[in-house]
Amino acid sequence: MSEASLALGTAARATAPPRARLSDRNFVPATLLPTFVLMLAVFGLPLLFSLYLSFTGWAQGRDLFSGTFLGFENYEDLLSDPVFLASLSVTFGFTAAAVVAQLAGGLGIALLLNAELPYMRVFRTALVLPMMVTPIVGALCWKLMLDPNYGVINYWIGARIPWLGRPGTALFSVWIVNVWQSMPYVALILLAGLRSLPSEPREAAAIDGASRWQMFRHVTLPLLQPYILVALLLRTIFEFRAFDNIYAMTGGGPANATMVLSMFTYLTSFVRFDFALGAAASWLMLLMSMLMCLAFIWALRRREGR
Amino acid sequence: MATVVGSRRAKRLETLAIYAALTALVCIFLFPLLWILGLSLKTRVQLLAPEPLFMWWPTLENYAAVLWQKDFLKAFLNTLIVSTSAVLLSLGVGVPAAYAFARFAFRGRNFLFFSLLVMRMLPPIAVLVPMYVLFSAIGLTTTHLSVVLAYTTFSLPLVVWIMRGFFEDLPIELEESAWIDGATRYVAFWRVVLPLARPGMVASAILCLQLAWNDFLFAAVLTNNATQTLPVLMAGFTGGDSGVDWGPMTASGVLVILPVLLFSFAAQRHLVAGLSSGAVKG
Repeated sequence: MSEASLALGTAARATAPPRARLSDRNFVPATLLPTFVLMLAVFGLPLLFSLYLSFTGWAQGRDLFSGTFLGFENYEDLLSDPVFLASLSVTFGFTAAAVVAQLAGGLGIALLLNAELPYMRVFRTALVLPMMVTPIVGALCWKLMLDPNYGVINYWIGARIPWLGRPGTALFSVWIVNVWQSMPYVALILLAGLRSLPSEPREAAAIDGASRWQMFRHVTLPLLQPYILVALLLRTIFEFRAFDNIYAMTGGGPANATMVLSMFTYLTSFVRFDFALGAAASWLMLLMSMLMCLAFIWALRRREGR
Repeated sequence: MATVVGSRRAKRLETLAIYAALTALVCIFLFPLLWILGLSLKTRVQLLAPEPLFMWWPTLENYAAVLWQKDFLKAFLNTLIVSTSAVLLSLGVGVPAAYAFARFAFRGRNFLFFSLLVMRMLPPIAVLVPMYVLFSAIGLTTTHLSVVLAYTTFSLPLVVWIMRGFFEDLPIELEESAWIDGATRYVAFWRVVLPLARPGMVASAILCLQLAWNDFLFAAVLTNNATQTLPVLMAGFTGGDSGVDWGPMTASGVLVILPVLLFSFAAQRHLVAGLSSGAVKG
């Protein structure tokens, strides 16, 4: 990608009129400026402010910069808070379990949809629907299906399980919903990958008499690996910030069993109104996400560089 | 001969197995959506039946009830206002930037581009906490503008990402001839490039619209009863006791997701391009 567009860029310069107009020289800054001014003002500035906030205190109704410097006190409070520590492990466990299930199922669906048969587009369109659905409404569907008294799931299994009322089943339930919503997403990315694979290696393996499984294991899977990596990192980044489904289904409970980091930060800031502690939790989340982003960009550039 | 017949039968069996597996998957994946649709078409008595009904005469009374509610209509209007404003703002600001990224070599290009991508990937809650504090300090919370600005922070990087790829695929010769004819960069961009980029702009608009339409977190914090959006209204429902007023709740749910599903059909072809930048979800 970069070589090609760099070449385009230089070609553009070479053919520009010999006396480049003043206004033309400003073109790139003029087009980029609005985007970056907006992003810095609405995104960058708040993040910096939140860093400041995390080292001080702030309460509603007070001046923005009225907090006193507390050093790492907020961070120390967080790291000694059992609820925060538990939410760290819930987040990591939940993210890992959701991503693994989405990748495994998504790969299966992608392989099925990749078959050269009629009506595949119909199936693809139908399977993609869950990921389009407003997450809050998707969670509502499941909440009603899982209802202890009137839910269809309890009716089918003939029991009255309070799915969202017990720690173990609650975590399992929100996991199911996240897997349901995002497995199609992985399937679409991997399907695009499968479609773009070169056919020569597979033809060569077929001539050599490779079995179905050998073909998949030793030819398709290695070729697909860059796409799997991109899907894995993207889903990790997005599951790490999971919020909507959990908010609508359990609100972090019962007994903090579904208290992921987003939920913890939300409750700290907007229910307990401890913005300084919320800012500290935000920054810990930000640092972790930035690491994942760097890994993602590295994977993306590797894929495009192929 | 026998092996040919055998392999043809195996092939047919395989086709059958693929269709069977896909049909089963579709049933599983679509069941929750069909179920909520079914619930929305039941009367209050049918909803509270001790055993869920699988056959019944559908009623539209829940939809009638919802569409008479002022809250629902107001939330619908709010959602429409903030999502379209966010889309227009993101396109207006992001499309020229995407063009610059696609066509011109300049120092720091990769760094700037990927820094936009990183902003898209950071957890929204982490931005929301300070955003709320700052917005309330300048009296911006509970306004439509606050939500529009918040949505723009995540749809703008998306627009730049999608449109850059789109501009890179356009042939450069048309602009070059415009430049040689004496057009400035601005005129060439406005008159020559933008008309060609319309399909890409439609695709990014749909993806951003969907992102804004589905958002709950920002709207939950930045709006009040007067400016709340549909997902916030829906979340208010979910707090209720089991079995209470499922009819209007499910009917509203169906009405909320219907437009999104329509958008997504419109954007099918462009979906994959947007996916790797984290479109749709998040």
